[in-house]
Amino acid sequence: MEISKIVCLFVAAFGASALGGVLGMASGIFIVPILTLLFGVDIHAAIGASIVSVIACSCGSAAPFLRERLTNIRLAIVLETGTTLGALSGVFLIGIASTSFLYGLFAVILAVSARQMLARRRDVIDASAPNVKSWATVLRLHSSFPDRALGRDIPYQVGRVPLGLLLMYGAGMISALLGIGSGVLKIPAMDTALRLPIKVSSATSNFMIGVTAAASAGAYFVRGDIDIGIAGPIALGSVVGSLLGARLLMGLPADKLRIFFVIVLALLAVQMLLSALNVNILAGPA
Amino acid sequence: MKHKTGNYLYREQLIAALLWYGTWLASAIIVAGIVMGALPHIEHSLGLSGHAVVKSGVALFILLPIVRVALMLVIFLRERDYVYVAISAFVLAIIAVGIAFIP
Repeated sequence: MEISKIVCLFVAAFGASALGGVLGMASGIFIVPILTLLFGVDIHAAIGASIVSVIACSCGSAAPFLRERLTNIRLAIVLETGTTLGALSGVFLIGIASTSFLYGLFAVILAVSARQMLARRRDVIDASAPNVKSWATVLRLHSSFPDRALGRDIPYQVGRVPLGLLLMYGAGMISALLGIGSGVLKIPAMDTALRLPIKVSSATSNFMIGVTAAASAGAYFVRGDIDIGIAGPIALGSVVGSLLGARLLMGLPADKLRIFFVIVLALLAVQMLLSALNVNILAGPA
Repeated sequence: MKHKTGNYLYREQLIAALLWYGTWLASAIIVAGIVMGALPHIEHSLGLSGHAVVKSGVALFILLPIVRVALMLVIFLRERDYVYVAISAFVLAIIAVGIAFIP
C-alpha cells in the first residue's frame, strides 16, 4: 500500500479520536463512516478495521481509570458474559446480514448517538439499604470510588443486574455487527439499569469495550476478514489520538464541539441511510 | 480492611500495567511494520514482510483484552474467589467458541 494512503488513514483516525476524546466519547462510531464514505472501503472491511481500533482505544485509555479506582472490575467481568455472548451472536449474524441492513442499522445507531449527545447525563445515587437477595449483593458488586473534590470515598450500589446483562447482550451484538464500542447502548444500560455514578459507569464501560470487541475481532481475524493494511494505520491513529487528543485540544469549547458533533452525527446518519438505499452523494456512484 | 484496600489496588495496578505496556508494544510493532513496508531493502534483508509485522501487531491488540481476562482469572484464583474464577473462565470460553467454531 502507498505511504500517502497510510498517512491519510492515520490522520483521519487520529482526528476522529482526538476530537471524540474531548467529549469523552469513543471514536469507533466515526471510523466506519470515514472508511466507507471517504475512502470507498467495503463496509465489511471497514467494520473489521474499526473493531481493532476500538480495542486499541479501550486498552490504551484503561490504565488511568484503573489506577484511580473508578473501574469496577467485578462488575465488568459479570457484564462481559453478556457482551461477549452478544458479540458471538453478532459474529454469527454478520455472515447473513446484507450490506443494506448494516448501513441502515448504522444510520439508526448514529441517530440515537446524536440524540444522546444532546441530553445531559445526571447522577442518581441510590442511598437506600441494599436488597440482600439481589444479584448485585450476592455477587458483591457494590463498591465505592474516590471523589477528588470531596476528598473521600463515595459508596455506591449496583441495581438491576439481570436487566443490565440483557442490555449488555444487545450492546455486544451491535458492537460486533457494526465494529463500534457501543458506548451508545452501554451508557443507558449502566446509568438507567445499574444506576452507577457517571465516572464509574464511563470507566467500567470503557474497560469492557476491549473484551467485547476482542470477542468479535478474534473471530474476524481468524476468518481473514480483517484488512491488515487498513486496520494497522487506523488502530495506530485512534490510539495516539485518544492519548494525545484530550491534551492537545484542551482549550476547545466543549459546548460548541458538542453541537458540532450532533450535526456531524446527524449528517452521517442521513448519508448512511442513503447508502443503505444505494444512493451515495459523497463518493459518487460506487 | 486496610489489607483489603492494598490488595484491591495491587490487582488494579497489575491490570493497568498489562494494558498500558501491551498497547505501546502493539503500537510499536505496527509502526515498525509500516516503516518496513516502505523500505523494501530492509524487508528483503530481514526476510520478513512489513505486512506480516503489522499483522502481528494487530493480533497483539486483539489478544490484549483476552490476556487481561486470563490475568483476572489468575488474580481471582489467588484470592480464592471461586465464583469469579468461574465467571472469568466462562468469558474466556465464549471468546474461544467465537474463534474456534464459527465458520
